[in-house]
Amino acid sequence: MKLELGKIFIHDVQFAERTYAENGILYICRQEILDLVLQDDRLVSAEVELARPGESVRIAPIKDVIEPRVKVDGGGLFPGIISKVKQVGEGRTHALVGAAVVTSGRIVGFQEGIIDMSGEAARYTPFSKTNNVCVIFHAKDGIDAHEHETAGRLAGLKVAAYIGEAARDITPDEVVAYETKPYLEQIAEYPDLPRVGYIHMLQSQGLLHDTYYYGVDAKKFIPTFMYPTEIMDGAIVSGNCVAPCDKVTTFHHLNNPVIEDLYKRHGKDLNFIGVILTNENVFLADKERCSDMVGKLVGFLGLDGVIITEEGYGNPDTDLMMNCKKATMAGAKVVLITDEFPGRDGKSQSLADAVPEAETVVSCGQGNVIIHFPPMDKVIGTLEYVETMIGGYEGSLKPDGSIDAELQIIIASTIANGYNHLAARTY
Amino acid sequence: MVKEIERAGIPVVHIATVVPISLTIGANRIVPAVGIPYPLGDPNLGEDKSKKIRRELVELALKALMTPVEEQTVFEK
Repeated sequence: MKLELGKIFIHDVQFAERTYAENGILYICRQEILDLVLQDDRLVSAEVELARPGESVRIAPIKDVIEPRVKVDGGGLFPGIISKVKQVGEGRTHALVGAAVVTSGRIVGFQEGIIDMSGEAARYTPFSKTNNVCVIFHAKDGIDAHEHETAGRLAGLKVAAYIGEAARDITPDEVVAYETKPYLEQIAEYPDLPRVGYIHMLQSQGLLHDTYYYGVDAKKFIPTFMYPTEIMDGAIVSGNCVAPCDKVTTFHHLNNPVIEDLYKRHGKDLNFIGVILTNENVFLADKERCSDMVGKLVGFLGLDGVIITEEGYGNPDTDLMMNCKKATMAGAKVVLITDEFPGRDGKSQSLADAVPEAETVVSCGQGNVIIHFPPMDKVIGTLEYVETMIGGYEGSLKPDGSIDAELQIIIASTIANGYNHLAARTY
Repeated sequence: MVKEIERAGIPVVHIATVVPISLTIGANRIVPAVGIPYPLGDPNLGEDKSKKIRRELVELALKALMTPVEEQTVFEK
């Protein structure tokens, strides 16, 4: 399966009468986005705001972040969600790299996180460096939480696909080709290189902690094999309201750094076989069953090595450790990528669970350290929920608009797939 | 909390939804609970059956509390 990803680099975003991209500038028609969002009768009003790198702007609470893309050839973006169910990961896709759709609204409220576009806290999130089209949605009174989440999720995806259309007929600044062949051909292509796989754990705990694969709720599937390019066309969509710091937004699925880096070494010093997709469920029997399946796939594919990433923390650490143990037993060398929560004093056990097989771990930093957020001139969304968000606490929000809160309140600050700049080293 | 209370000389049963975490933390007597969203019942089965599940779990926990253990022990039904 081969996908050409054409990248159009965006360095500014402006409002205009119509939506298009030219000379690295993305022009957005506000009214067309509002009309699109309000097609959903669960939403009664919306606002569209722009936030650019370096501006004195704070965005909160963040529902999702999505990179605008378009399928030029080979199916539709976000299949099973906003396009018909059809295999993706082949053909050609264009991406507006440097632009992002950021959704915000009064949803759940306690886990949704902050993006600062400048100042000290900006350096912890990748979305301070993107040109953000912020969509703030307001649902009708009395809406059920799940309906609220669905409406907000779909609004973001539809807006990203709509903006992505601006990239359809542009000649990309750069085209990258990614290819993974059917198993036997892939083995035959690089028979002497170690076979490496990626075990991608999707948050699927329910209670608004959900992820979708071709529209299927991840808690309802058993682990399966995925071609890595499928993810780049939106086969996986975030429906998550989890701790902001390691929420894997839809943007992060589209731009998975483990897949990106494994492709860079594919055919050089390793043979990247593909992705084992699994979940993180709330019943012990499901954790056992799904990690068994993961181990089975590792053995069946004859993988020499695997990298495992998780989403969220706490009980998913058990899924991580079960997968580690069972992948090891199936004959693979295992590297875990995770983040840590050792308490504000750094003295507590930093993962909820551990097994002896987890001997090689890459840490993306710890989420409990307290960060100071200076006041910003403009707030997009609301700061009303800051003190009840994960990482916030009573007294976090100061009268001048500054905030003291744990790092985990920032979107993607310790994201456990490495799409960040924090690390921990053992001395 | 389990470890600190036991350190004070009082035996503890941990009714745990994720048994591996309880084992990692070092609980000595573990009773597996139903699941994370509803540890001591099941709203799908209604209140009467949930109460029955709850009673069975508490009775199993009391039995575990009275059972001498030499090592970490998971009390299945």
